[in-house]
Amino acid sequence: MISLRDVTFTYPGAARPALKSVNLEIASGCFGLVTGPSGSGKSTLLRCLNGLVPHFSGGILSGSICVAGLNPVQASPQIMSRQVGFVFQDPETQFVVDRVEDEVVFAMENLAFPPQEIQARLDNALDLAGLNALRNRRLETLSGGERQRVALAAVLALKPGLLVLDEPTSQLDPEAAEGILQTLVRLNKNLGLTILLAEHRLERVLPFVNSLIYLNTDESGLIVGEPRQVLSHIDVASPVIALAKQLAWRPLPLTVQEAKPFAASMHLPVPEPVEVEHQEQPGEIALQIADIHVSYESYPALKGVSLTVHAGEILALMGSNGAGKTTLLRSLVGLVRVNEGSIQLFGQPTQNMDPANLSELIGYLPQDPNSLLFAETVQEELLFTLHARQPHSRPMKKVRAVELESEAVAQSTQMLVQMGLADLAAAYPRDLSVGQRERVALAPIMVARPRILLLDEPTRGLDTAAKDQLAQILRTWRDEGHTIILVTHDVELVARLVDRVAILEAGSLVAAGNPAEVLSTSPVFKPQMLQLFPEAGCLTPQEIVDRLNPPG
Amino acid sequence: MNTRLHTWTWVAWLIVTLIALSATRNLFYLTLILFCLLVNYFILEASFQKGAYPLSLLRFGLMICGFSTVFNLLTSHNGATVIFSLPQAWPLIGGSYTLEAAVYGLTNGLVLFGILLVFTIFSQVLPVRRLIRLVPRVFFPVAVVTSIAVTFVPTTIRQFHQIKEAQLIRGQRLKSLGDWLPLIVPLLVGGLERALQLSEAMTSRGFASSSPAPGKQSSRLVMVSGLLLVTAGWILGSWSGKESLGLGLIFSGLLLLLGALWWMGRQIPHTNYTREVWQAGDGIVLLGSGVLVFVLLSSFAGLTILGSLYYSAYPVLQWPDFDPWIGSALLALCFPAYIMSLGKK
Repeated sequence: MISLRDVTFTYPGAARPALKSVNLEIASGCFGLVTGPSGSGKSTLLRCLNGLVPHFSGGILSGSICVAGLNPVQASPQIMSRQVGFVFQDPETQFVVDRVEDEVVFAMENLAFPPQEIQARLDNALDLAGLNALRNRRLETLSGGERQRVALAAVLALKPGLLVLDEPTSQLDPEAAEGILQTLVRLNKNLGLTILLAEHRLERVLPFVNSLIYLNTDESGLIVGEPRQVLSHIDVASPVIALAKQLAWRPLPLTVQEAKPFAASMHLPVPEPVEVEHQEQPGEIALQIADIHVSYESYPALKGVSLTVHAGEILALMGSNGAGKTTLLRSLVGLVRVNEGSIQLFGQPTQNMDPANLSELIGYLPQDPNSLLFAETVQEELLFTLHARQPHSRPMKKVRAVELESEAVAQSTQMLVQMGLADLAAAYPRDLSVGQRERVALAPIMVARPRILLLDEPTRGLDTAAKDQLAQILRTWRDEGHTIILVTHDVELVARLVDRVAILEAGSLVAAGNPAEVLSTSPVFKPQMLQLFPEAGCLTPQEIVDRLNPPG
Repeated sequence: MNTRLHTWTWVAWLIVTLIALSATRNLFYLTLILFCLLVNYFILEASFQKGAYPLSLLRFGLMICGFSTVFNLLTSHNGATVIFSLPQAWPLIGGSYTLEAAVYGLTNGLVLFGILLVFTIFSQVLPVRRLIRLVPRVFFPVAVVTSIAVTFVPTTIRQFHQIKEAQLIRGQRLKSLGDWLPLIVPLLVGGLERALQLSEAMTSRGFASSSPAPGKQSSRLVMVSGLLLVTAGWILGSWSGKESLGLGLIFSGLLLLLGALWWMGRQIPHTNYTREVWQAGDGIVLLGSGVLVFVLLSSFAGLTILGSLYYSAYPVLQWPDFDPWIGSALLALCFPAYIMSLGKK
């Protein structure tokens, strides 16, 4: 189905190639996962398959590509569209019209298919994507998972032989992501469709794929093969694989299901109860939310949520898409009016404070870091925040102004060093990788030293290394006494980072407490270690290893 | 009963409403037209796109009416009923401020609000695909691009709000012009990024994949000939006094142009998988629209049993006339709401 021979591609103006001497053979009917660190060329490789690279991107391509018997470079993306269906990361940017059915038939009408054939293909595509009940709905009324299904149906209607998906589940909660992946498995097994999927979260996808393509950023190039074989050669792994490697389980289990026999044969010692000399007291109450209600027009988004968060604590806020997590964060920073109930920050009610005043106490990083970045350099982004907080009300002596400016420069430089961004101080923020951009967007928030930090989906699209870096920064701030509230779907990050978890469903708080307790009872947000050892209460592979070999 | 109205029924309703709005400045009739439009708006509102407009439409309408009233009051000093006066010597604002000018400004505001309402209802009630189908096939790619631009507007507004909020909670206050920079740059860059992503998605779904239409050269020749005939007819009619010959040439030229466009449209491969069906509801709306057009034209023609549509607040403010026949005919503009509400029941 796919054959790449010695393919090298360089984007216009780039110093080094995005793909270097890539050789790849993929057979028909394969379900392949493309993974690798950010900037390793995953998206570029996928775009080569339908000719978007180089037709759309420009740049220099050498070597030969053959997909379904066609050369995408000669055939152009438009011709390849009948052979290769392409689904992008953000469903919202793929839609041309405004209703489900219209969106699915758009390409077929454009390619002048006969009406009877369009009707048959439409019914089939909607059926395959599980969208029959939604066919007359407006796209804006659909959830993220449903929208991604519409994007999938729109390409399936063209009956491609190859389906290519570029991180299609990165914006979805675990349930919606599972739904999309199950649909793909059905398409692969029942129709024999060849599928190639790029994804960072291996634990989500590994149970379904039969081939793994790992792209490196260094000179070692591409590793392709059966997932077990490839994973034994690379460091990147899901928690189950990480544990299996540490405990030398053979053959290497890829999924929780495969690892269960190994786990069952192990005796995990019960930890001896440790006599606690003095119970560690939680810090002062940073945030007290009491029975708050928020409505959008007549739709209740939050229904009587109460929550207390202490200083020096990391709290994860989890829940399905549309559960009210972002609304809760927005109400904390005064962007949404609270209809009932009260919010107190360090004992101060917030109802009469506007968002600009609240920002001195609370920092908020929205889902899309791009909405914050506008300056020419990374350092200027930080300086902008600091200038916005300097007094402007009365004329200032020149000497004082110079002092303030040099203080601001020193503060911003210190923050850049702390966040590992010192080398990028002069870089244009929007040119950076997704992970770097996330940190750059966080730096101007943190430079103002807010006592509470709210992060909305900060690990979306980040690779493992970038996630580790972010987790380390958050731990440091927590240790310095900052309070951090994190909205995320990333169960494994929560398992290794946070002190407490709260779960929201349909606008109500359904659980809050210690991560092991809360996550072990959640059917959706359960880390792999809790699935593997339900009784152990361990959240990470390291905790399991420590339990087996207690330190000392 | 399926109460979805045919696209051409909506087009007819739109045209008739616009005719009614531009035919009169009579406050009674304008109020009646706006009443009908608001009935349509509120009954059909449930199916409208959420968050498509940054401001409530009614609030925006009040702003238009208020601004138009104040603007005319300040700029037009005609009329007999003086509310107050400022010395004539004062530049720009000197002179009498009259009730007539205020009322005239208000009628202009009501007309503008009516036009806004009718286009809002029309664009919201018809899916983008049905709007694209209204455009002649020869202009199909342009229609798709325009529709995308239109659907981009609500997304851009949403994005603007997100950026504004993000900067606000970073401590940014909008005090001077320079403070808008942190809002404008991400909006522009984000808009460009979204446009690129969409064009990438459209390309990979085969948009504009058809090969160039055969006979493009000959249809261009026909179009040029048509344009030449129109120009020649206009010159002959205007300068050499041969008006009938000129009109004939213009008519022939226009026929050639339309024929060429139709033929070029036929060469663009495109299909519609569903055909719209005419229903009883369409008949009711079209009949009501037809009656209204007849009444408006009859009134224009000076039919004695009907009152006049003409009204002017100047020179002395008087109560406008009200003809119950015209008033009843205007109520036909409510028919779409009535037909659509049948479906809801």
